[in-house]
Amino acid sequence: MAQRDPQFNQHVLVDTTPMPDHIPKVEEIGATSAFLSSAAYFIGDRCKAFNDDFMKCKDEANGRGEIECLKEGRKVTRCAASVIKDINTHCLDQFKAHADCLENNNHYLFECRKAEVSLNSCIFDKLGLKKTIPGAPENQVPVHLRPKQKYAQYPGPQY
Amino acid sequence: MGVPFEALLPYAIITGMFGVTGAGLYVVKRFANEGKKPRWNRDLWDRVMMERDLRITGTMRGQSSNHLAPPGFDVSKPWKIEKRIF
Repeated sequence: MAQRDPQFNQHVLVDTTPMPDHIPKVEEIGATSAFLSSAAYFIGDRCKAFNDDFMKCKDEANGRGEIECLKEGRKVTRCAASVIKDINTHCLDQFKAHADCLENNNHYLFECRKAEVSLNSCIFDKLGLKKTIPGAPENQVPVHLRPKQKYAQYPGPQY
Repeated sequence: MGVPFEALLPYAIITGMFGVTGAGLYVVKRFANEGKKPRWNRDLWDRVMMERDLRITGTMRGQSSNHLAPPGFDVSKPWKIEKRIF
């Protein structure tokens, strides 16, 4: 791409033409940002295979992944929607409490450990999904299980 | 040797006025954010996600936990455009 100066403008175009018929439809996810970041680790737990498959497809498509990986992308969307639906069915109260806490604390997970612990235990009991942070050091307590949160507004024992 | 109370009146006024502005800002920010604390230090991802929240719920700070998007969501994406350069 040739180098050029960025242009400041505010124009947006909303194109209401639906997708053509030869592209199969998928229901988009309707959860908003706080609920998505609250459910993110559980989506990752159940949908890891689909997500990895999608990323591998995009990696191997040589820049044409948006077109060639539609099938894998639909699987990713459906799997995430199934997790959200299950959490809504079984742990709605804890889910809402955690999302409300996130909304009031700038979406910082370390401010909401108390709500997160109850959500995690509910989801582990009902759905069997577990929060694990990928790439965390093996020989340390993961950050979401430490009782003290150093950078939270109240850094003492959270629960 | 007591301090006359007239000497402390300006300090009372200063403290009161700072209190008025602080409380006013608190109320205005809460009102503008629909009763929630304002977001701060938002990066591009946060702004994009808040725009998506607006498309789903119709309000700036509204949240929804539905697993399916409302009808019309898949055609309401705004595309950033700019004028022709050449």
